[in-house]
Amino acid sequence: MRSNRRQFLLGSAAVLAAGASGFRPAFAADANLRQIFWGSQERANRTYKTNDLFTAANPGTKITGEFYAWNDYWPKLATETAGGNAPDIIQMDYRYIVEYATRQAIAPLDEFVGKELDLHDFDQDQIEGGKVNGKLYGISLGANSVASIVNTAAFKEAGVPVPDNNFTYDDLRAACEAFKKANIRGGMKAFQDGSGVEPLLENWLRQRGKALYTADGKLGFDAKDATEWFKLWNDLRNDGLIVSADDQALDTGPLDQTMVIQGKAAVTFANSNQLVAFQALTKDPLTITAFPRVGKDGKGGHYRKPSMFWSVAQQSKLQSDAAKYLSFFINDVNANKTVLGVERGIPAAASVRNAIAPTLSPQDQVALHFVANLGDLLGPIPPPPPSNAGEIDIDLILKTSQQVAFGQQSPEDAGPAFVQQATDILSRKG
Amino acid sequence: MTVRPLGADSDLPISGRTATAASPWRLFWRRNGAGYAFLTPWFVGFFGLTIGPALISLYLSFTDFNLLQSPHWVGDANYLRIFTADAKFMQALRVTFFFAVVSVPLKLAFALAIAMLLNRGLKGLPIYRAIFYLPSLLGASVAIAVLWRELFAGDGVINQLLGYVGITGPSWISNPRYALWTIILLAVWQFGSPMVIFLAGLRQIPQDLYEAAAIDGASKARQFWSVTLPLLTPVIFFNAIIQGIDAFKSFTPAFIISGGTGNPINSTLFYTLYLYQEAFGFFRMGNAAALAWILLIIIAVFTGISFLTSRYWVYYDE
Repeated sequence: MRSNRRQFLLGSAAVLAAGASGFRPAFAADANLRQIFWGSQERANRTYKTNDLFTAANPGTKITGEFYAWNDYWPKLATETAGGNAPDIIQMDYRYIVEYATRQAIAPLDEFVGKELDLHDFDQDQIEGGKVNGKLYGISLGANSVASIVNTAAFKEAGVPVPDNNFTYDDLRAACEAFKKANIRGGMKAFQDGSGVEPLLENWLRQRGKALYTADGKLGFDAKDATEWFKLWNDLRNDGLIVSADDQALDTGPLDQTMVIQGKAAVTFANSNQLVAFQALTKDPLTITAFPRVGKDGKGGHYRKPSMFWSVAQQSKLQSDAAKYLSFFINDVNANKTVLGVERGIPAAASVRNAIAPTLSPQDQVALHFVANLGDLLGPIPPPPPSNAGEIDIDLILKTSQQVAFGQQSPEDAGPAFVQQATDILSRKG
Repeated sequence: MTVRPLGADSDLPISGRTATAASPWRLFWRRNGAGYAFLTPWFVGFFGLTIGPALISLYLSFTDFNLLQSPHWVGDANYLRIFTADAKFMQALRVTFFFAVVSVPLKLAFALAIAMLLNRGLKGLPIYRAIFYLPSLLGASVAIAVLWRELFAGDGVINQLLGYVGITGPSWISNPRYALWTIILLAVWQFGSPMVIFLAGLRQIPQDLYEAAAIDGASKARQFWSVTLPLLTPVIFFNAIIQGIDAFKSFTPAFIISGGTGNPINSTLFYTLYLYQEAFGFFRMGNAAALAWILLIIIAVFTGISFLTSRYWVYYDE
């Protein structure tokens, strides 16, 4: 009993102490901004260094950042927002910006433009990309596009020419066959299994004049397209030309599990701005190239999109400080040149872009010019995907691809089933 | 601290001034108030952190709620959908029941076997006990699940060992035929806590029963079936309930090993993992709350059935 009372007293003392520290008033001059983003350790290092530069230039304003992997990021952000505890500065994606803007989770930034937020030489199409219903909700951190990440050392070892922007799906099969014959690094394949990669399917559909989703949020392709898609990859898999079902299923999302980093394949499908993050994970030199063309005249599959945005929380009490930070992040030549580089995408402020261009490594130069050099591969940007589409992207397409890969379903059955289930998901409420 | 029930101290002197005015409530409060005051921290926790959120989740299970907009009432639509048109719910139930039905008996058998080995008067028993208990402490952790992933991957340690004897193993964790079995193995490996309880149970069995059985000519096996097992049934029952509930709630290993996807092809889509996906992957909080309540009912029914049938096979020595 005695010890219980002592524990109780100790406990209350702890509660009191915690309460006291919680109520300590903040100094009026201090602005403490919370920041949240997704990405790799590489991105975090660059971001934190930029935050330090910002604090050095603006004493009294501190940025506390935290970062998560893509899959963990959205639950974290949604729960913090719902709990009334949203971070002030939020990294936002094209897929989610409409949802967050229309639900008033992020703030319109128009009132800060020209004052705290300097956009005088910012690319107009990147400003437009951050608008929802005519108001500016996101500041683009760079233009990018989908891209194939290519291990050039592996191609050299196999004696196969590195794919370029005229590379077709027929060339893909030829490259895979050449790799099989060369048998390097214990049977490394040329390509990963692309059947479960949503952006690759979208690119393939767009080249055929279709789309993943229509402007009114419906599915933009039919069962015949889907069957043909799964069959294309199934044939490659059955001929032992791409990575096996077992290996491909090991990839559950993070970059270090991708086939190109695992050394199972020489090519993985990703985004152009991710070249930096991929390169940080392997010693082999990497480069980026366009997704394959459906034929010699296949075009318009790619599009230039904002890689990601900074947004400011509607709940934030420090919105103007946050806007000042955003302005620093996109305009400060020193921070972009020495720290940020093109890791998040190609900077959209012309002065920054011109200033950093000569300082970049040859590899970063490739990234810098990648989108501009796409030529006829570039098409118009599609509307943001409908709200339930996330489940198709991260769940349904992958599972359908695995069902075919492990032989549970033929491509002929998988195509109609995929379209049916995707339609159900899109029409679902609650 | 015991709370005295109302009227237990009827012989307590009552001061004349309040004797007639005191309502039963005031009397109750005067006698027990201090006790309840000391219980306040617990009450705050119980109502604020347990009952409150539980009731809110019951409410949410009848709504459509995506975290960003306020919930709106949809009646039984979530439950209706789960029971009539949700293939993933059925798959999650299949995976979870299979896991519970296979892993719990295996784990208990393993725990009992090791407990009997340790019960033979070994020197340094506490050390062995601690070593065998270790996996139970570590097993639910993220680190072990990550380690498991590395062990059972295509070019993991297990396949390298198999390679020495000329077997080319598949990638166990990413093959839909074996993925769930690697998680079952992980569960069985954590046999420590039922083992410790079995060990205590074995110590309770009187030695003279074995002596009597030996004099009657019973073999070791016969002694096990006729003496050890019947007298151990209360402990087996306890372990089965606890481990069964744990199995239904299992989350971390599947989450880590499949990267939160339940893949390959939903073969490791545990019920709680599906619930998590619905809530935090697709922001269908209402639906997820409904799933949580269904799980609660499933576990309650499972436990209830166990208690009802226990009278036929659990032997209490009185």
